Parts: sequence; C-alpha cells; structure tokens
Amino acid sequence: MFYFRGCGRWVAASFTKQQFPLARLSSDSAAPRTPHFDVIVIGGGHAGTEAATAAARCGSQTLLLTHRVDTIGQMSCNPSFGGIGKGHLMREVDALDGLCSRICDQSGVHYKVLNRRKGPAVWGLRAQIDRKLYKQNMQKEILNTPLLTVQEGAVEDLILTEPEPEHTGKCRVSGVVLVDGSTVYAESVILTTGTFLRGMIVIGLEMHPAGRLGDQPSIGLAQTLEKLGFVVGRLKTGTPPRIAKDSINFSILNKQTPDNPSVPFSFTNETVWIKPEDQLPCYLTHTNPRVDEIVLKNLHLNSHVKETTRGPRYCPSIESKVLRFPNRLHQVWLEPEGMDSDLIYPQGLSVTLPAELQEKMITCIRGLEKAKVIQPGYGVQYDYLDPRQITPSLETHLVQRLFFAGQINGTTGYEEAAAQGVIAGINASLRVSRKPPFVVSRTEGYIGVLIDDLTTLGTSEPYRMFTSRVEFRLSLRPDNADIRLTLRGYKDAGCVSQQRYERACWMKSSLEEGISVLKFIEFSSSKWKNLIPEVSISTSRSLPVRHGGRHLNPSYLGGRGRRIVCTQEAEVAVSQHQAISLKPGGQEQGFSQKKKKFRFCSPATYESVLFHQLQEIKGVQQDEALQLPKDIDYLTIRDVSLSHEVREKLHFSRPQTIGAASRIPGVTPAAIINLLRFVKTTQQRQAAMNESPKTDQCLRDADRLQERQL
Amino acid sequence: MWRGLWTLAAQAARGPRRLCTRRSSGAPAPGSGATIFALSSGQGRCGIAVIRTSGPSSGHALRILTAARDLPPARHASLRLLSDPRSGEPLDRALVLWFPGPRSFTGEDCVEFHVHGGPAVVSGVLQALGSVPGLRPAEAGEFTRRAFANGKLNLTEVEGLADLIHAETEAQRRQALRQLDGELGHLCCGWAETLTKALAHVEAYIDFGEDDNLEEGVLEQADMEVRALEVALGAHLRDARRGQRLRSGAHVVVTGPPNAGKSSLVNLLSRKPVSIVSPEPGTTRDVLETPVDLAGFPVLLSDTAGLREGVGLVEQEGVRRARERLEQADLILAMLDASDLASPSSCNFLATVVASVGAQSPTDSSQRLLLVLNKSDLLSPKGPGPRPDLPPHLLLSCLTGEGLDGLLEALRKELAAVCGDPSTGSPLLTRARHQHHLQGCLDALGHYKQSKDLALAAEALRVARGHLTQLTGGGGTEEILDIIFRDFCVGK
Repeated sequence: MFYFRGCGRWVAASFTKQQFPLARLSSDSAAPRTPHFDVIVIGGGHAGTEAATAAARCGSQTLLLTHRVDTIGQMSCNPSFGGIGKGHLMREVDALDGLCSRICDQSGVHYKVLNRRKGPAVWGLRAQIDRKLYKQNMQKEILNTPLLTVQEGAVEDLILTEPEPEHTGKCRVSGVVLVDGSTVYAESVILTTGTFLRGMIVIGLEMHPAGRLGDQPSIGLAQTLEKLGFVVGRLKTGTPPRIAKDSINFSILNKQTPDNPSVPFSFTNETVWIKPEDQLPCYLTHTNPRVDEIVLKNLHLNSHVKETTRGPRYCPSIESKVLRFPNRLHQVWLEPEGMDSDLIYPQGLSVTLPAELQEKMITCIRGLEKAKVIQPGYGVQYDYLDPRQITPSLETHLVQRLFFAGQINGTTGYEEAAAQGVIAGINASLRVSRKPPFVVSRTEGYIGVLIDDLTTLGTSEPYRMFTSRVEFRLSLRPDNADIRLTLRGYKDAGCVSQQRYERACWMKSSLEEGISVLKFIEFSSSKWKNLIPEVSISTSRSLPVRHGGRHLNPSYLGGRGRRIVCTQEAEVAVSQHQAISLKPGGQEQGFSQKKKKFRFCSPATYESVLFHQLQEIKGVQQDEALQLPKDIDYLTIRDVSLSHEVREKLHFSRPQTIGAASRIPGVTPAAIINLLRFVKTTQQRQAAMNESPKTDQCLRDADRLQERQL
Repeated sequence: MWRGLWTLAAQAARGPRRLCTRRSSGAPAPGSGATIFALSSGQGRCGIAVIRTSGPSSGHALRILTAARDLPPARHASLRLLSDPRSGEPLDRALVLWFPGPRSFTGEDCVEFHVHGGPAVVSGVLQALGSVPGLRPAEAGEFTRRAFANGKLNLTEVEGLADLIHAETEAQRRQALRQLDGELGHLCCGWAETLTKALAHVEAYIDFGEDDNLEEGVLEQADMEVRALEVALGAHLRDARRGQRLRSGAHVVVTGPPNAGKSSLVNLLSRKPVSIVSPEPGTTRDVLETPVDLAGFPVLLSDTAGLREGVGLVEQEGVRRARERLEQADLILAMLDASDLASPSSCNFLATVVASVGAQSPTDSSQRLLLVLNKSDLLSPKGPGPRPDLPPHLLLSCLTGEGLDGLLEALRKELAAVCGDPSTGSPLLTRARHQHHLQGCLDALGHYKQSKDLALAAEALRVARGHLTQLTGGGGTEEILDIIFRDFCVGK
C-alpha cells in the first residue's frame, strides 16, 4: 500500500487567509508540485484544533484537513465546557498554551465553579458556552495561527512508506490521499476523526451512516486502519433533543444563576468577556413516572438501547437511567445554547426514541408541557481504536509518525479530546525535528493520568475524566497547572510562548518565596496577632479551630513547633502584608491581588499531606525513569521468566517504562522483577560489548535519574 | 540474599492498584527512600534467625534498638543487647552487623540482626523495628529490586535466579492470602469493603455532587461507617496486642470424647509426661501445648479436654477452649475408644467433629484429620473390626504401643503435606505486617475525622484503604468507579 501519486488537486478553503504561502513544495522530482507539510491533522474537532495549533506553535508547517471549514470548532453535543475533572484538564491545556480555555473565556454565557465548598483541589471550572461564538472565535484563532493552513477535504487513505530502521513499527506514514484522489505529503500525521470512523446515527429503529448529523462518515480510512492490523472496538454515545426556548415555561422552574465574579479558565485572563449580570441563567427540572412509562413501553422501538455495543457504566441516556434506577426523579438541566440562540439543551435527556415519542416524553416534564422539539435526540455508534496500541506520546506502535487523538482513542468529552490534541500536536512536531517525545506523567497532571490510563489499561467504555482517577489529586490542582506544565511546555515541547513562560516562572518563584516567608519567618503569637488581627493562633496543627463560626484550615504560618491556624481571609491578609513588607514594590505583572491570595491559600490547605505525596511521586517517577527497550519482543525473549499471559499483555501494550508495566493488570511483582533483571542484564552486556546505542541510552537515562534520586 | 524476598505481599499486581493503594507516612512507595525490614532467614525452627533492614534509616534503627549513640564498626559482627524502644524491655542478646551503603547487598545502608531463632524473639525484634519511624515491612521482592536498582547483582548471580524469584514472590502472595483465610482475614475483607464503599461515596460526592443528583445524606452515611470502622479497628488492635502467643510449626490437636486416651497419646508422642493421665473422665481441663519433633517436622502438639456437655463450669470452659483450638488446627488427631464406639459420646463425636472436617473438600487444605481408635488391646482379637460405617481410621494401643508405627507413618505423610507447602510460612512477618497496616489504617481514619476540606478527607480514606488493601489485595480505582456507578445514577 504505497502511494506515489502525481500532483493532486489542491483546493483551499475560500476564506483561508494564508493561501499556502507557507506550504513547502515537495522536493521529490516525480511530483514537483505536491504539497508537503511537517504535520497533517485530520479532523477539525476539539482534538484536531488543539493538535493543529500545538504543532504550529512548536514551529511545524501544519495542515488541518477537515470536511468543512465552517464546522471547525463545532460543539457537537453539550453547550458547555469544563466541570469537575474536566476543568482540571482545561487548565492543563491552557498551561500548554492550548486554545479551548481562552476561547471559552471569550464565548461563555454562564460561568460557574462547581465544588466551591469541597476544597480547591477539586474545584470544577465550568461554563455554558455560546456555540456560535465559540465556533467564530475558534475559527478566527485557527485561521490566524502562523504556520497553520486549513483545507477542506475528506481523507480516504494514508500513504505509507518503509519504516525508519531506528524506530519500531512496521511502516511509516508519509502523507494522505484525499477522496478526490489528490495527495498531500507530511512528516507526521495526526488522526482526530472523532466518531466518524464507521459512524452510525440511530433514532428509534432507523440507522444511517454518518458522523455527526449532516457530515460524512470515514469508511475508507477505517478499512485502511483495520488492514494495517489495528484492533478496533465499537462504542456508543448519544445527545438529547433540542427544544425551542420560547416553548418552555421557565417561570415555574428552579433558576441557577452564574458566579459573581466569574472565574476565567485561562491563566492569561483576569476576567471573562461578559459581566455576570449579563450572563444567562440555567434552569432545573425533573423527570417523573410518566417519563419512565413512555421509555419502558417503547423499548421495542429503541434499537440503540437494545444493541449490545458497549455503553458506559454510568448513565448516559434517560433510557439507561430509567432502566437502572427506576422510580426516581432524574434531574434535567435546561441549558442555554447561546446569547441569541432560540434553543435549549436539556442536559440529562439524551434519548434515542423515535422522534414523535421524544416530544411526547418531553411534554410530560414540568415546565416543558408545551415544549417544541426542534431537533430530536439521537445515538451514535462508532469505531474506536484500542488505545493500548499507542505510546504515551500518542504515536501508534504499528505505524511510525502516525498519531491518534480524541474520541478515536475511546474517550468522551471535549476536554479529554482537547487534552490529547495538544499532546499529539506537540509530539508530531517533536518527531519531525527528531527531538525526544513530550510525555506528561501521571504524577504531573490529569493529562498524564488520562493518557497513562488509556495506553496501559485501555478502555471498554467511553473514557471520561474524574478526579477520583487521580491518585495525586491534592498535588495536581487547577490552581497550579501552569507551574506544573507551562515550564515543561516551554523547555521540553516548545509549545509555550516566551511571555507565558516568563509569567509562569515569575508566578512559581513568587509563590515559593511567599511560602518560605510564611513558613520560616517566626514571630510571636502576639506579633502575628498585631499584624493580622483576623488570625486565630494555635500551637497545634491538627486541631481545627473555630473562627467567627467557620472552620479553619491549618496553614503555613509560624516557625518550628509553632503553627498558626488561620482562616482563608486571614491568609489573604498575610499575603498582602508579605507583599508589602517583604517585597516592596514587587512586580505584579498585571495579576490581581485576589488571585495571588488564592494561590497561597490552596497549597496551604493541603500542606499537611503534600510532603508525603511528594515522596510517593518520587517513587513513581523513579519507576517511570526505568525505560524498557522499545525493540523488545516480549513473545520471544528467552532470558526473562515470564508467563505466557504476561508476555501477551506486555506485547500488546508495549509499556515504555517499568512504571507503566507495573500498572498493567495481571503483570505480577515477580514479572516486574524479572523485567528489571532483564533490563539490567542487557545493560551490562551492552556496556561490555558497546553496541546498540539506543537501548543503552534508555538505560543510561534511567541510571542518571537514579543518581539524582540518590 | 534471596531470603530477603521472604517478605509478604498480598498484591498480585502493582500498578494503578499500587498507585491507588496509597501509603501513608509510615509506608512510602518503594524506592522513595523508605527503610524496609524483613526476616531473611528461612521459616521453621532454627538456631539463629537473620533480620535485615535496608534504607537510609537503617543506622538509626540499629542505634535505637541497641540504645547506643554510635554505630558498631562497619562490617564487623558485634554482640549487642537489643531492647524494645517503646518499653525498654530487653529482647535478645544478638549479633549485629552494620553495612553502610554502597558496600552492602542492596547498595543502601543495611543492618543485619542475627537473633536467637525463637518465635518470641523474632517477633519482638520485628515489632520493635516496625515501631521505628520510617521503617516498614518490605514488600514482595523489594530487597531484590533495590539491589538491582543499585547494580548490586552481577550477571552470573542473576542468570539462574529468574525462576526462583518467580517461585518466591508467588509463594509470598499465596502465603499472604492464606493468612487471610482465618478470622482476621474475614475481618480485614469486611473492613476493606466498608471502607471502599465509604470512599466511593465520598468520591461520588466530590465528582458528581453538584452536577447530578445524589441522595441526601451520602456524606453522613460515610461518616457513620468510618466511625464504626474506627471503633472496630481500635478494639481489634488493643485486643491483638494483649495476647496470641506465637506458635510456629504445624498445629496438631488431639481431640475426642472424655477418657479416649488423648493425654496418653500426647505423652507417647512427646516421650515425656506432659499431661496427667488417669482413668477418670475429664482429667484434662485446659489446653496443654508441647512442641515436639514428629517424623522430622516441627509440631506444636495440643492436648485438649474431652468433648462433652453438662459438666462443671471449669470443665465446660476447658471444652470451649478445646473446640476453639480445634478450629485452628492444621491437623486433627481425632481419638475414640475402640471398645466404646457405641456410646453416645463417641457417636456424637463422630457425627459432629469427624464428619464436619471430613466433609470439607480435599482441595480446601485448611484442615486435615486422622481418626485414631485407641485401646485396641481391649478388642477381642477374633471379633469383627469396629463398626463398618466408620471412616478410614488407624488402630492403636497407647498401653502396648501397638499401631504406633502405623500412626507415625500416617503422621509423617500428613505433616509432609502440611509443611511441604511453601505457603505455610512464618506467621511472624505476617503479623508485623498486619499490625503495621491496621495501625496505619486507624491513623488515617483519625485524619479523616479531622479534615474539614473534603478533598483532604477523601485523601485520608484513600490512605486508610490503601493500608487495608495491602492485606486483602485489590484496591484499584475501577472498584471505586464500579461502586459509584452501581449506587448512584450519574452521567450526563
């Protein structure tokens, strides 16, 4: 399957501002005018847009191929971004200078932080987003990104060539073939085709092939991937009907108002584009037994629910809610779709009943008695590729320089897709410039947890981010994502601007300085009291102290032995005091005092456990530094005593480190020790024979880290 | 060096499991600078037992146990009095060796304690080490991993070891599981289940509390369960510290109706008058233990009160203890008077004890039973054998010694089966581990109570659960998610 075609037809989206001034012409004399890019991104959804812009930020000539330019940045399902766990992902995407957080700060119509009362580690930044605005802002951003070209076109096939000998994989991707037969060459290709791989739309008993409504499914590509030997699975998802806004009686429903002030998603923003008082409310209503009755009576008309295709353990549709939790009232949130949109999105009512029954069901619900369904809900069934076939850099094991990101890897949600998109874009670009991959460890961020879970454990249901999946949740907070990732994004990935990098450096050092000041400057209790009258002082760290009727958090103040327990308000005062007395005229760089105060509070809240967590993180990182040779053939290596079952598991997942191997279910401690023995043995042999620098390099890297640890 | 692997681990796999089975301060992740200890000589009775530590706190631990300011000279055997740092009580006069890293078998600071091999001493030293801050029992293969990581094993040493490593770590896993067969195991599994559910509900409240509708009182319910668990754990730990003498070797318990000749058999087998023997039924009222060497195997032989109802208070207590001991036996010697098989007490014994043990499936290796008919000298030589419906049995006369050889041969076979199983290991380390993790769990539950920040509270529960799942296995995130999605209707 090697394509060497002539010059293809080259169509630009009419409003693409850069008419390929940056597209290099292929030096291949056989096809003198064939366009050639560093990175091609297929798909303009949430993964694709992040991937394309990340690759371009890293300095790669990038082409974004999409069915229709006017669907770039389309929010195909819910009109909201963020939430608990997902908000964390957005902060991390933003820390890597990704788009979605900034676009959301320009496009939201209702900003609300969830979990306010449960501690800053689990705050969930969330917003209702105006679909139209989001799409506009996203397209503006995409079309103005330097080095990024956008082209309409459906990809039919991949162009494959001989593999690079120094890497594993049976072939290498070198471009794509479009439906019209034209070809585009590239050094790396990223697939972000979402639900388009053999996508089927289901309403009632009707099924028809499609991606999202009105778009074309990718069938040729699916066949190519299957022929290459990728293991394919099938998943299903769904979306609720859309209701005419003016047909809803909001006056009898519970109203939810947005936060005042709004908390922006992006570290670069002080505030969002819209004032709280101009934002739109959401409304809450509930289902009732009549809804249950309609669902249960008509199960025979509902092929999506009956089919065996794996759905999630959680309840994605009203049908599954009724079937699994009968006789309950289920929440339905009525969410605005935009400032001037006439549509309401009933979150919680995802349904695949025949259209006329959907309206019948909806009119049973309080406030929706006269509701008009403008667009019925529907189910989608689609292929995904077992994510254990990709590395933590999202490159496939089978095909060199081919990357997968987003729903194609079995995830669900805009934020999960965006997070993978950034990582794929960075790595596709790093691969072109022959730099080492950029991998976020699960000790560094939610992105790391997401990708590590996918690549080592796989998934059998649409994978969604929850904070409970994250073992180092107290360390990986939304408030410190920039410190965790922006510095690495600048140094290791090159996807972060100098300005952002400097800003994050400043934030990091001023936080560290502030914390050390608070920790080690020792004043007597009375002096602290004088300085900060609000503070309540206790010599014990663990005893909660009541202050003005509120529980207080232990925090940094005080020196050896003496701890001062203070309120968050008091801490605000301390940071002011510290800023004034210890760092006169310290640069503020446009950061509001408030934000800084909060940033002191959050680590202070968790200080008691952060130290232990750091120890654990070091242990995990040490295991992750022990790299396994990439060319190891688990099925045949003789020197390692491994059971057949373990060999197959390792062979399929191809873990890159001892740490990842130890997380694969069924890989026993004994197997890990034997692997470690094998690695060390190989190392000694190679040191003796001084050959195969690649494996040796891995091991030397590992040793270097160990030396650091010791 | 491979004996260092005789540490225990219930976990079959590490991984998300390992990541999620969190360790608290006392038990940081391997490789993070924690100091580990383990009994590194083999199980069974031996003159000298070797206990090893590895890690940065080794020297500290040595100084604390020897109550000395200075460390002994490196790589020289020194005789020191070991005492318990908490009580100051002397534990043993032992040889100690101090190996400062990197010239040690793991490359880290190491200490070896060569103590007298008695179980009480070994147990005492292990518990004393467990009480030193920064020390924890080693996990499966942890000494080896550290040695590997520090380049301490050379190629020739390593080549032949692959299968051994496998056998050892798997045996440890089996042993840990076997240790959980008993009452403590049931308790631990129950506790772990409660805790996992409480954690799942707290996690659900964090991840779905605002977007989806959870029922009222999810947190209150979790609080209540955690409080109850704390009480149960606290009571158990106080209880466990008080008693339970350590008994190593196979437990062989002689039981039967009164006056069947149990004490005579015990005296015969131990070649010394352990128990008072008299023709009067009910002579033995307490459990009498004696360590003996039977057919080359270390055995703890227990004589128990004859099983009967409705006698004096003291004897009733003796019967209760006898029954209790019976449940813990590896091997039961069930004894009947061959000349008195028709009596109600014999029939009752056959119907209850013998039948119930016999009914267990042969694969359930928890208990074995030999039926012995004593007083064969009283049977008429020509008469028909005892009742034809009896299960397989041996005839014996404690008086004449007839049938003793047959009994010893049968005992040898049974004991070989009991002791030959590598998973019947030393209970000492298991106990140190249990105590370590139960205490860790209890401490973490204390933090849960104090946490006002819900994420911190959940963290405390995660740590607590991590300790319990170190004992029971399991413990992944998926278990939590399973419970969340089972108990709550969440999703968009």
